[in-house]
Amino acid sequence: MAGLSKRPDLGVLLGIGLTFFTLGVTVNVLVLERTGSELRTVVAALVVNAATTELAYLAVRDAGGGLLAGLVAGWVVATRFGLLAAGLGARLEVGRWHRAAAGLQSFDPNVGVAVQESEPRAVISVFWWVTLAMHLGWVSGTLIGVFLGNVIGDAERLGLDAVFPALLLAVIASLLRRRDGLTAALLGGAICAVLIPVLPAGVPIILSLVGAVAALSIPEPSP
Amino acid sequence: MTWGVIALLAIGVWSQRLAGMFAGGALLDRVPLFARLASLIPAAVVGAVIIQLTIADGRSLTLDARSVGVAVAGVLVWRRAPVIVVVTAAAVVTALIRL
Repeated sequence: MAGLSKRPDLGVLLGIGLTFFTLGVTVNVLVLERTGSELRTVVAALVVNAATTELAYLAVRDAGGGLLAGLVAGWVVATRFGLLAAGLGARLEVGRWHRAAAGLQSFDPNVGVAVQESEPRAVISVFWWVTLAMHLGWVSGTLIGVFLGNVIGDAERLGLDAVFPALLLAVIASLLRRRDGLTAALLGGAICAVLIPVLPAGVPIILSLVGAVAALSIPEPSP
Repeated sequence: MTWGVIALLAIGVWSQRLAGMFAGGALLDRVPLFARLASLIPAAVVGAVIIQLTIADGRSLTLDARSVGVAVAGVLVWRRAPVIVVVTAAAVVTALIRL
């Protein structure tokens, strides 16, 4: 066990914890509204463990898309988690089970902060500290979101339908700051807008994948 | 979201995270294109989802209160505002226009 010897700055942990608390509250108000079950909302938050995937699935279903289209949308937006796990994996010197546990918790902030360490022992230690801060925020936020979701009445009158896309913008903010990421998002959005009137609901979202392939021609950002 | 959907979404996410952790390094070294695609696909699909949630009404396109709220959120994300500010502004702007 590498231990938790190296801890990031408390300010960093607090900032990440607060961000995930906000995400937990807002995402789960939306999930509860569409799921209608507190238990399933909380279990999905903990087990799926990927807000983007939950939101992409719900967005397709909201639009009237089919079950399969919703699932595919949820799966394809999770490719970035595989990439984050690969980035972390390259820097770890721990056993197989420890690796699996860390892989399943790979998110942008914990991998991003951890891989800045030079020592493998510090990488895994920092990774778990940030993961702990994220989860304290996410789990407490989820519970409060489920509670709030029950007391909030007309979500549309409160403008909560705009919160859904606004949240997604915040979640992919780091991708949008890269020229190729921004291009992919704009192309994906444009493809979707053009196809919405002519194709069955949900299909335009899946076909927006083509935007990612086209964005490959944009030069890679220098690290 | 039924129990089955939760399970299927979880399988999709878990398998990609584990594949990345155990096989990702070797694969990405051999086919660097995979890494770029894996990071650009979520950008494209989430971009499409945002458009769907912002300007679609069934199968027609429309600009309404919610579109303005999301546009304000976009500016705030670009200015690096905290998540709580982004989502609150989107909701308040949209609700005010609907008054």
